[in-house]
Amino acid sequence: MASQRTLCHSVLERLAKAGVLEDLVLIGSWCLEGYKSYFGRKTPLTILRTRDIDFLVPRPTRLRTSVDVPALLEELGFVTDFHRGGYIRLLHPELIVEFLVPERGRGTDHPVRLPQLGINAQALRFLNMLEENTITATLEGVRVRMPHPAAFALHKLLIAPRRQGRPSKQAKDLDAAVAVLEALRVHGAIELVREHLASMPPRWRARIRQVLGTRQELREWLALLYGS
Amino acid sequence: MARVIRHVLHEELVNSRRMQRRYAQALRGLGRGSLVRKLIGGHPYYYLAAREGARVRFRYLGKLSVPERQERLAKHRKRGQYRRLLREVKQQIRFLERSLCG
Repeated sequence: MASQRTLCHSVLERLAKAGVLEDLVLIGSWCLEGYKSYFGRKTPLTILRTRDIDFLVPRPTRLRTSVDVPALLEELGFVTDFHRGGYIRLLHPELIVEFLVPERGRGTDHPVRLPQLGINAQALRFLNMLEENTITATLEGVRVRMPHPAAFALHKLLIAPRRQGRPSKQAKDLDAAVAVLEALRVHGAIELVREHLASMPPRWRARIRQVLGTRQELREWLALLYGS
Repeated sequence: MARVIRHVLHEELVNSRRMQRRYAQALRGLGRGSLVRKLIGGHPYYYLAAREGARVRFRYLGKLSVPERQERLAKHRKRGQYRRLLREVKQQIRFLERSLCG
């Protein structure tokens, strides 16, 4: 685990030195590590996570500098993996770096080319809500942009039902959402979650309501967020 | 919870197997052999030493310029790094397979 953290630090530091980190948003389960510094170390925020470290590239892409990310990370031992979907992942035994972009319109199966970063990224639905509400927190000693915890938790609730045929992934999403919501409640920020929820499109709100209503352990959040 | 852990382990096993293929591919792309310097008549000449079955064969490269030497040494270092990482991946695969089958 120590070498994974060291490698994570090296990846973030390299991206920061290359001048692209400030234009990226860290998403996925590594955010929980950053939220520990945001909420304070005593907040229990532990979930099961894989080696993936995901970066969101906001759209329209306004990167201040261009950098060949695969070449930048090759020195650390990363190898480039072309996924059959056409997008690129950078693999290392301790960490898998992936780049994502928000999906637009009707969506497409094709990867999105990002020549400024020398990669192809995967487009996924609902990611725009993560890029719109961000905070800056410290992860492995590096300042990183990541979604506001409220946006992170609501996004996890929103995408959980889309994990059809992958119940374990769905359970992981819901665990992460509940862990972050709990941390927000401990810090008296439930009103903030309600505000985030209110700013979402009605169909998304309805979907989150449905998710909260389906599981016994999530029902208390239904009452807290929707007052029912 | 057990099912979630099992799923995560399976996902990691798939990732590690993919990683193993990628490192093996990258290693093939870097070629084989180590750069050896021999001083003959006071002049340095370079050879590529590579194992062929039971014996080590030296292929004559001649006098190499500094950039050529640096390029070969960089490749050599990269091969060492990838071999170490490939070993790590193989260990992970063994661990994950044991965890999922046990």
